[in-house]
Amino acid sequence: MSDRNILTEFTYERPTVERGYAGQTLYVDVSDRRVAARPVTAMMKEKFVGGRGFDLWLLWNGVRDTTRWNDPENEIVISTGPCGGTTQYPGSGKSIAVTISPLTGIPIDSNVGGHFGPYLKFAGWDAIEVQGKAEKDVIIYIDGQAGRVTIEEAPADAPTDTHLLGPWLMARYAQSEEDRELTSIVSAGTGAEHALMGCLNFSLYDRRRRALRYKQAGRGGIGTVLRDKKVKAIVVRSPGVSGDANHPADLGRLQATGAEMHREVRTFDDKQNRMRRRGTPYLVQIMDDYDLLPVHNFKFGSHPDTPKINGDVWEARMTQGLPDGCWYGCTVSCAHAVDGFELKTGPYKGEKVIVDGPEYETVAGVGSNCGIFDPDAILEINFYCDTYGIDTISFGTAMAFAMECYEAGILDKDKTGGIDLSFGSAAGALEVLHQMSRGEGFGLIFGLGIRRMQDYFIEHFGADPGFVRDIGMQAKGLEYSEYLTKESLAQQGGYGLTNKGPQHDEAWLIFMDMVNNELPTFEDKAEALHYFPMWRTWFGLCGFCKLPWNDVVDPKNKLTPEPQKIMHHVENYRQIFMGVTGLEITYDDMITMSERVYNFQRVFNIRLGHGLRADDAVPYRSVGPVTVEEYESRAARYDSQLREWLGLDPTTMTVEEKMAAHRKYRQERYEKLIDAVYKRRGWTENGVPTLEKLRALGMDLPEVVAVVEKHL
Amino acid sequence: MKVLSFIPELCVGCHVCEEVCSETWFKVVDPARSRIRIIEKDGSMSALYCVQAGDCIAVCPVNALSRNKQGIVLLKKKECVGCLSCVGFCPYGAMFFHPDETTPFKCVACGKCAEACPAGALEIVEVETPSAPGVQA
Amino acid sequence: MIRINNRDEIDWEEGLTVAALLERLRYSYPHIIVTIDGQVVHTEEYESRLIPDGSNVRLIHLIAGG
Repeated sequence: MSDRNILTEFTYERPTVERGYAGQTLYVDVSDRRVAARPVTAMMKEKFVGGRGFDLWLLWNGVRDTTRWNDPENEIVISTGPCGGTTQYPGSGKSIAVTISPLTGIPIDSNVGGHFGPYLKFAGWDAIEVQGKAEKDVIIYIDGQAGRVTIEEAPADAPTDTHLLGPWLMARYAQSEEDRELTSIVSAGTGAEHALMGCLNFSLYDRRRRALRYKQAGRGGIGTVLRDKKVKAIVVRSPGVSGDANHPADLGRLQATGAEMHREVRTFDDKQNRMRRRGTPYLVQIMDDYDLLPVHNFKFGSHPDTPKINGDVWEARMTQGLPDGCWYGCTVSCAHAVDGFELKTGPYKGEKVIVDGPEYETVAGVGSNCGIFDPDAILEINFYCDTYGIDTISFGTAMAFAMECYEAGILDKDKTGGIDLSFGSAAGALEVLHQMSRGEGFGLIFGLGIRRMQDYFIEHFGADPGFVRDIGMQAKGLEYSEYLTKESLAQQGGYGLTNKGPQHDEAWLIFMDMVNNELPTFEDKAEALHYFPMWRTWFGLCGFCKLPWNDVVDPKNKLTPEPQKIMHHVENYRQIFMGVTGLEITYDDMITMSERVYNFQRVFNIRLGHGLRADDAVPYRSVGPVTVEEYESRAARYDSQLREWLGLDPTTMTVEEKMAAHRKYRQERYEKLIDAVYKRRGWTENGVPTLEKLRALGMDLPEVVAVVEKHL
Repeated sequence: MKVLSFIPELCVGCHVCEEVCSETWFKVVDPARSRIRIIEKDGSMSALYCVQAGDCIAVCPVNALSRNKQGIVLLKKKECVGCLSCVGFCPYGAMFFHPDETTPFKCVACGKCAEACPAGALEIVEVETPSAPGVQA
Repeated sequence: MIRINNRDEIDWEEGLTVAALLERLRYSYPHIIVTIDGQVVHTEEYESRLIPDGSNVRLIHLIAGG
């Protein structure tokens, strides 16, 4: 193409993928415009497996102890994993993207579907590292058919917002329908240029709709880093897709396991969560019924208007009957869309668009948590967040915080530049979002995220520090995802003790703990906070999606000894892993694989200065009632807890005394939980992995030991 | 459209149909690669093969399945990504797979088994083409 | 009184079925294991199975959402 200004060209002979590995990773430096191939070593496969493991290892080696998110040596690393790209088993195309997060200053690992990760592998690369900063916007193009990687100047008129950039890139790089099917794009948007909560969009070409669809690596601000590096997009063209593209060791094993799981999905999904018809929003009404849906900045757990935004509503809005998997062969097929949605606000007002989603997190985050119960408003916010490259979870939780500050008088129209940010103000939320895209007004302050907003409101608006710190639902600098944790100590730990910050991918123990009361002691909770985070981490090493593990389940599982583990699905995953790699593994091995990467990530946090006990602190809103309003909304429950837990008589106490008693008890309880969890994990009281633990895992690498020794 | 039809009372369980089918389509005599399976249970015979219902068409993520002018549901191997969603979603279990084949396979009513059946238990008959697949994807 | 999940005690009434109990508690989630004094109650029996006074009822939701 004559208008492609190619700055660097790197040709390579595409390796055959063997047993899930291409055997090399791609390194791209956009400062020096250098491209190189790096070998995947036996050590990497043994200790880091792939996916999140490869990402963290490569990032560790690329950065210094003092590297900040916007230093040139910060990297974005993306990898799928050895099982990524498998077509036979549902949900086998996931990738993990990693960077030093603008929000937290430590590595974020973000999970994402779409076609990019597996296509990258089939193009010859187990991972891609992008380091440096370009002078002017560049596009990185990986042509897996030609065996060529180019760094190209992005023309000045190339769009930035994803819903425009995607088709623009397709027109530039894909000459035929087949090309379009085999091309995938990573991009962000204008919002990511001005906010720290920028997300990445990963495309997939939808063959029924003949249009681009996008999944998001939402958490942690990786989109912000992409735009900071002046990378407009990363594009890959795959040589193809087939049932044996990973050259698995035992195709028959993959086929038998996959076909059986497809059958299970077909048999049970309709009567269970209806993933194939509504996706993750099935959870909205359930959470409301159990008083766990975040409402008004995590103050309450339910709202009478929830039926306006529950799963039935979304099932009716989403186009039905299409194979909506975000990777080939996913029959859980939950990546639905609302087609032909007309935008009412912003620069694209009047356009009829495909809205990817919404997911549960978006409905709860920008919906109920903000007091917004209008489906059209949720769709509008969902679309603009995606195209602007803004994480809907951080946006929703941060907006809920801003709204509570507005209602408490910390913010007012003077400070917001005239924007009404009462709970329920969808117009206000959208105006802030558009400001984030334009880089102006209150949107610039908002886009910094809760932690920096807290500092800002205290310093510039005279906000009461105690209140603002109590209600700002962030930990480690990352906004909480959308589950009410006040009544589940296990989930408080599940969020507070997560390496990256309060994202629920590691532990989702709310029901087991709070409703089922299956984890009554600290040791029970600690055991669950060992097993489930380790089990759930495993998906991201291999390229799997977690959803097929638990969202469609043969009811015979109820009769097994440990139904919460869904062992027949764990067995499926073991079979797929062995079928692809040819390696024999046990259930214990799967946990150990995760423990290696998990402990490595903890040490990485310590290395960067934010990985000790003090960093596992959580805001009081996540632990108990901050305001009188919250206490009185659940007074019966809180009063009876005073009796049951503390032997106190609530009738003799003022509400302030009752709240203080709760606070002391609950905060102490959280500390006791941390003690129990650290002990189970083999960490010191300060949250440092011991040498003994690292040795047992084979992770006593010299560079790792050098970090922990300073704290032991 | 023309579909295969089976008369259980005539079947003698010789499995010649399976041999001829795999020979025709895979150049090897291997019942595991036949698109018709003869099953004997409690003294009676049944046959499993595709009746061209078409439920699989909507499930395929790559549009590899479609109904031709004769009403037969065909799989385009070149498009197929071997995910076996169709295998899992066939209400009859009539889409088959084999570890030496990345793509699955099904009866296309070619009639070779009917020709070869020594007991006359198989024949190609004319039925109405379904207007739409029975099951929602 | 009946005990729910080893923790909450609630009032018993004559003729209390599993289905009625789930409705009273607003336990709407479909994947649930119900045991009465350790014995599993199958879904088909929810409407008919009576819960005796003083029993220990476990209502284990199988949900690992998110």
